Amino acid sequence: MAEQLPLTLALDEQARFENFYPGPNGELVERLRGLAEGETGVLYLWGAPGSGRSHLLQAACHHCSVRGGASLCLDLSSPGEWAPELLDGLEGLDLVCLDESWRLAGKADWERALFHLYNRCRERGTPLVISGDAAPAHSAFQLPDLRSRLGWDWVYRLQPLSDADKAEALVYLAALRGLDLPKETAHYLLRRCPRDMATLRHLLRALDTASLASRRALTIPFVNAFLARNPRWQTQAGLFDAL
Amino acid sequence: MTHALWDRCLERLAAELPPQHYKTWISALRAREGDETLHLYAPNRFVQDWIRTRFLERIQETLETVAPGWQVELCIGNPGDGGEGATRDPTPKRTPPSPAPRQATRPPASRVVVREETPNAMRTNLNPAFTFDSFVQGKSNQMARAASEQVANNPGRSYNPLFIYGGVGLGKTHLMHAIGNQILKERPNARVAYLHSERFVQDMVKALQHNAIDRFKKFYRTLNVLLIDDIQFFAGKERSQEEFFHTFNALLEEQQQVVLTCDRFPKEVNGLEERLKSRFGWGLTVAVEPPELETRVAILLKKAQEMEVELPQEVAFFIAKRIRSNIRELEGALRRVVANARFTGREIDVDFVREALKDLLALQEKLITIDNIQKTVAEYYKIRYTDLLSKKRTRSIARPRQIAMALAKELTNHSLPEIGEAFGGRDHTTVLHACRKVQELREQDARIDEDYRNLLRSLST
Repeated sequence: MAEQLPLTLALDEQARFENFYPGPNGELVERLRGLAEGETGVLYLWGAPGSGRSHLLQAACHHCSVRGGASLCLDLSSPGEWAPELLDGLEGLDLVCLDESWRLAGKADWERALFHLYNRCRERGTPLVISGDAAPAHSAFQLPDLRSRLGWDWVYRLQPLSDADKAEALVYLAALRGLDLPKETAHYLLRRCPRDMATLRHLLRALDTASLASRRALTIPFVNAFLARNPRWQTQAGLFDAL
Repeated sequence: MTHALWDRCLERLAAELPPQHYKTWISALRAREGDETLHLYAPNRFVQDWIRTRFLERIQETLETVAPGWQVELCIGNPGDGGEGATRDPTPKRTPPSPAPRQATRPPASRVVVREETPNAMRTNLNPAFTFDSFVQGKSNQMARAASEQVANNPGRSYNPLFIYGGVGLGKTHLMHAIGNQILKERPNARVAYLHSERFVQDMVKALQHNAIDRFKKFYRTLNVLLIDDIQFFAGKERSQEEFFHTFNALLEEQQQVVLTCDRFPKEVNGLEERLKSRFGWGLTVAVEPPELETRVAILLKKAQEMEVELPQEVAFFIAKRIRSNIRELEGALRRVVANARFTGREIDVDFVREALKDLLALQEKLITIDNIQKTVAEYYKIRYTDLLSKKRTRSIARPRQIAMALAKELTNHSLPEIGEAFGGRDHTTVLHACRKVQELREQDARIDEDYRNLLRSLST
């Protein structure tokens, strides 16, 4: 079986607020936008894998950067090479985003460093965004002070999109690519393909290419023929082969 | 602040570097232009080193293409605070600029100029919002509040040091700020400093690095009021403890006030020197307990008032009944409700709150189950879980069972018949009797009261 690649790494799109379909997460997106624009506060967001945590953190940093701010988006998925001192002084930035914070859980020196960064950011008013895989009280952090602080300011759960939302999201994301994706085609895809947004984004890219090559609109017959030619898109395992 | 030159470099670097590298390292740099040198400021030494070893050559190349002859200087801190007293590179400036081959444009390691933030000048760090007026008093914190007010009205003379301890998010820091604010109100020229213990350690390390330990000592030993939060983080830091010990003694000798907070009783902090523990007990040690329901409601109403939001009382009760562990979580929940109401334009009522907090409430309910309570109580009293559900009526079993029932009533939303059912099919009147009995016993017997509070704490945090 082919090696499973993280889908996010293969994305050719840059993470932006504009290409994130908020669905039920509109309030969260607005809050993040506010923080990237200089509002103060600490925001902890948690959700299932593939729900868009990394996308939103990167989008916030990008938004801050284009406004001339200094920001840092730290992917903590493999902090092996780094030391907790990496978090020193980050409160001097305009926005700090820490992705996959749960990777630090159980590492006492990292937990303390994160706790102190939290305090310094609050004291200085530096916006700090942290992503997690569970609500603060259920996080794997050992330091009670840290768990309690993570629940203090803004805590949001990234709500999963319903199928109706996903169909809307597909139409919306297609429009961003200049594609007209009829709603019925979006529902058709949702009935036949893996329904996580990361896969659906990939599929949309493939359909974009195919539609451009054949100069055909994204009708159900066209998509049907595409899936018949590319059956791997209909299963998760097949998708990984395609990458 | 934007800088044309750096912005142009950024555009190119963003296009050339992998996005993850760019967002992690490059976008964290701040720039200042001056004298054909682009000063780039990293937030800390770690980032500086990372940039130097992995990206500096690339940045220098990019700068060469945008502004031939310019050089990169890598610093630490912020453009605003590194101006004076920075360590300048002693090597002469590279002139004239030449279209040298790639390798030659790489700045040697010695070109990196390290600038540090200057140590903090005297500032109180007090949050003016944390006053005695904005502190909601209840049974759980009335002793701590009274002692704090006493100290604020008579600093250095009543209780010195004042040692406030308790679990996370219960208002210890609020009381500390309130003391500082109150003293400054009466004596605006008083030298008051609030800091987290980590800041004390950091300041000391910086002072040692910069050979400025005398200045450090003078600063701390000439304060009128020293407020240090979370002293448990001194644990294991011997040099800091040593310095703090002397600071502490100097202040007490001069009858200057010291206030400390900790997450536990001083004697229970591991890694803290005995002489410090013993001195912490010289003044007054007071505990802050988790707030009871009425106090939680009062806190919510007060916070809502501060946010200029009308919070119906039944809504405050609804939230307070479900979020019990600490005030931070309570505040977090209220903030979400208010933000959600503003975002959706909906009125705040119980149904709305149930929806807005559904994730949080679901977790709370998942966290505290009757089963969980039974297991925790059995473990606490070192009896078997099945004994709690059995018909046994010996006191060593019956008391824990009654306590578990009372906890189930207090911590869950199950009905009394449901609780009875979960305890081996007992009647709801048995549960009612257990709750009354436990209340009575807690008033009569301090040990039972302590057991109950310990269990409550461990189940709800």
